Parts: sequence; structure tokens; C-alpha cells
Amino acid sequence: MNRLRLVLLAVGGTGLAALLVAACLGLPGFGGRSHPYGARAVHASLTRHTANTIASVNFDQRAYDTLGEMSILFAAVLGCVVLLRQARDEHRAQPQPAEVARPVRRYALIVLPVALVTGLYVVAHGQLSPGGGFQGGVVAATALHLLYLGADYRALERVRPLAVFETSDALAVSTYLVLGAAGVLAGTSFLANTLLPYGTFNTLSSGGTVPLLNAAVGMEVASAVVVLLANFLDQAVEIEEEHGS
Amino acid sequence: MSDAVIVVALLLTAASATAAVAQRDPARQALVLSVLGSVLAVLFTVLQAPDVGLSQLAVGAALTPLLIMLSVRKVRRRGRTHDAAAKDGAR
Amino acid sequence: MAVNGWILAATVCLGGGGAAALWGVTTGPPARRVVAQNMTTSALCPALLLLSQGYGRPAYVDLALLLALLGPVGTLVFARLLGDDLEGGRPSAWGLTWTAAGLSAVVVAAVCAATGPGRAMVKLLVVGALLIAGNVIASRALSGGFRGVRGG
Repeated sequence: MNRLRLVLLAVGGTGLAALLVAACLGLPGFGGRSHPYGARAVHASLTRHTANTIASVNFDQRAYDTLGEMSILFAAVLGCVVLLRQARDEHRAQPQPAEVARPVRRYALIVLPVALVTGLYVVAHGQLSPGGGFQGGVVAATALHLLYLGADYRALERVRPLAVFETSDALAVSTYLVLGAAGVLAGTSFLANTLLPYGTFNTLSSGGTVPLLNAAVGMEVASAVVVLLANFLDQAVEIEEEHGS
Repeated sequence: MSDAVIVVALLLTAASATAAVAQRDPARQALVLSVLGSVLAVLFTVLQAPDVGLSQLAVGAALTPLLIMLSVRKVRRRGRTHDAAAKDGAR
Repeated sequence: MAVNGWILAATVCLGGGGAAALWGVTTGPPARRVVAQNMTTSALCPALLLLSQGYGRPAYVDLALLLALLGPVGTLVFARLLGDDLEGGRPSAWGLTWTAAGLSAVVVAAVCAATGPGRAMVKLLVVGALLIAGNVIASRALSGGFRGVRGG
């Protein structure tokens, strides 16, 4: 039986290898001079006064795809919450307080606001420099967990009311949808970037709806990551199984 | 000149990824994955894709190791509790 | 073609530092591995700063800023949650730590000198401060900072 499987794998692998080689030979040359899609994307981004072309492609020209990606993250976190919730045969133990060395605790408490502000800065400057909603949201959520890494879990639980973060996650997704629907209500298409003025190039208020969609995605990603980590932390630190059942 | 830095970054990525696969223990694998994440971010930067590099850095530097280590801790705790319960039951 | 000194320095930093960190993280006792993971941040962040200067794109300093912020957080994750594995030998590599701090200071000073005074230089100084402070504190955390953590 094992040999049959290996033979099947060899046949499939050879076929895949042959197709891959044929495809690679048909690729355009690396780094040529004509980039038809790139030229059009950059031109569209500059017409709408968005300095970061990636942000323009993500939140303006292909904003619908970003809606799909945001839904994927939302669904993944929802699945984690369902899978990792406390089951009937588990109970919650109190997390034990921790004694952390003073320099480490001070570092965590000083760097936490710095990292939060950096996360917000990355979200706000998404249309100007590399960054955007996703990157800044993950940084802000990780910054919050410095409180767990530098102090202990009870400190984190105090500043992290989970219901608030779950609500803000859902609210952020709805904000993205509402911003898209505003385009439909105004007579253009879903997620069209024609409602707001394009502003001055290379300033914070430029790009039309791109900064707003950036902010919505940033809020969604930060809340989603906090909820995800909260479920993992609860399972690792608090929830225990009942004995002797 | 910029080709050399791309080659170095690619070699480092290949080496880290192979090392990550060759590790058997999840905790040690998390350490190598953290290094791989940062090296990947540098690779994306030298290929002039800073947005992707920023995403990789944000996720791979602290978030992925934290998730893996929390799972390892949960599995080890369960293992210890089961051993203690088995000992209690055998007494 | 003129040799771009910045990119050359970045290649050396990346190649040397990256290879050393990778070797340290794959071989040896857990103590050495965690120290090597800590050194990865101090090896790659100066490389990113040199690359941003070499390519002439100040926007790449954001990447170095994020690595200087999140690299030590990654090391703190391992220092806290790998406590059982590290019980045997508390890793302390202060020589390595101060060498890395010195290298970071040199790179930040060089890039600052090339940038000139202004908001960009303030950002570079913040990145340097975060990098050095993070490196030192992470080393401190690895060499016994979490003694009183009992499974939290």
C-alpha cells in the first residue's frame, strides 16, 4: 500500500514539476522596462493625490479585496473565540501574580505608550509612507500586551475589557461597509473614492476616503488581535480542566 | 552593489527556513521562526517592498512567537495536570 | 558604477550579524539560543538604517523603528514563557550586549550625521535610543528578570 502511494506521489510530482518548469520559462523577463499595470496604478494613485501607491491600490483601486481580507481576519478570530471559549468541564483559576525585575517592568511601562503612539502614527500615515491600517493595528495590539509581558496577567485584564474590544471589532467592520455603501447612496459605485476631496498631495488629509478606510481597518485589526490573544492567554494561563471526571 | 545585498538576504532566508523546518521541539522552533520573520522583513525591504516588510515585521517579531509559546505552555500544563491526576487515581 | 558605501556596510552587517544569529539560534543549549534571538534585533535594525540611507529613502526608517520596538518584545515573550527551559543555565551575555549596543550607537551616529539636523534626525535618535535600551533590558530580562513568575 505504501509503495502505491509513493508511486502516485512520484507521478503527481513529476507532472507538477513539468508544468512549473514550462510556466517559469514563459514568464516575462525579470525587471523589464514596460510595466503596463504598474504605470496605470501609479498614475491613478497620483491623480487622487495619494503618495503611497500601495495604500491607493489597497484602499482605493482594490478596496473590495481589502474588504474580503478584513472579513477573513474577522471570521478567523470569530472561529478562535468559539473554539477556545471555556467549556463545561473547565474552570477558571485565578492567575498568579508575578514578580518581575524592576528594570524590565519600568521598560515595559515606558515603551507601552511609545509603541501605542507608533501604531497610531503608522495607521494615520498609511497614505503617505509605508504602513497603513493592518501594520499599525498589529503594533498597537502588541503594545498593549507589553503589560502582560512586563507585569502580570491581572494587570492586563484590568485595562482590557474584552466586551469593548469585541464590540469595536464589529463596529470597525461595519464602518468599512458603511463607507462603501455611502458611495452607492451618493450615486457612484460601492467603495468609490469620489465623495471626499482629494486634498493636498503628501499631507495627512489627502487621498479622499483612503485615510478613513485605513482608520477602520486599523481599529478592526487592533481589536481582532487583542481578542485573539485574550483567548489564547485565557487558555494558557487561567482555564484548567476538571480532575477526576 | 544592491545585487549583493539581495543575494545575502535570500541566502539568509533559505538558511533560516531550513533551520526552522529541521527543529523538532515547538519552543525551539518558535525561536527560529522569530529570526526567520525578521530576516524575511529585511528581504522584502531590499526587494523594495517596504509595506510588505512592515506587515511581516509587525506579525513575525512578537505576535507569532507569543501565539506559539502560549500554545506550548497550554499543552505542557495539560500534560502535567494529567500526570498528577493519573498519580492521584493510581494511589 | 560607484560602490555605495552604505549598502556595502548594510550587506556586511546583515551577512555577518544574520549568520551569527542564525548559528546561535540553531545550535547549543536553550540559553544560547535565546541570547542569539535577542542579538538578531541588534544585528538587523542597524542594517535597515544603513539600507534606508543607501537607497535614499527616509521612509524605510519606519521599518527600523518598528523592529527596535517589537524585537525586544519578542525576546521578552521568550524570557517569560520559556522560564522552565532556562531554569538550568541563566543566560548572561553582557559582553555581547554591550558590543551590540556600541555597534548600534555607531550606525545611528553615522546615519544622523548624513541626515543633518531636523525632524528626521530626531526620529533616528529615537530609534537608536529604543534599540539600545531594548537590547539592554531584554538581556537583563533573560538573565534572571522573571524569577518570581510561577506560571503566569
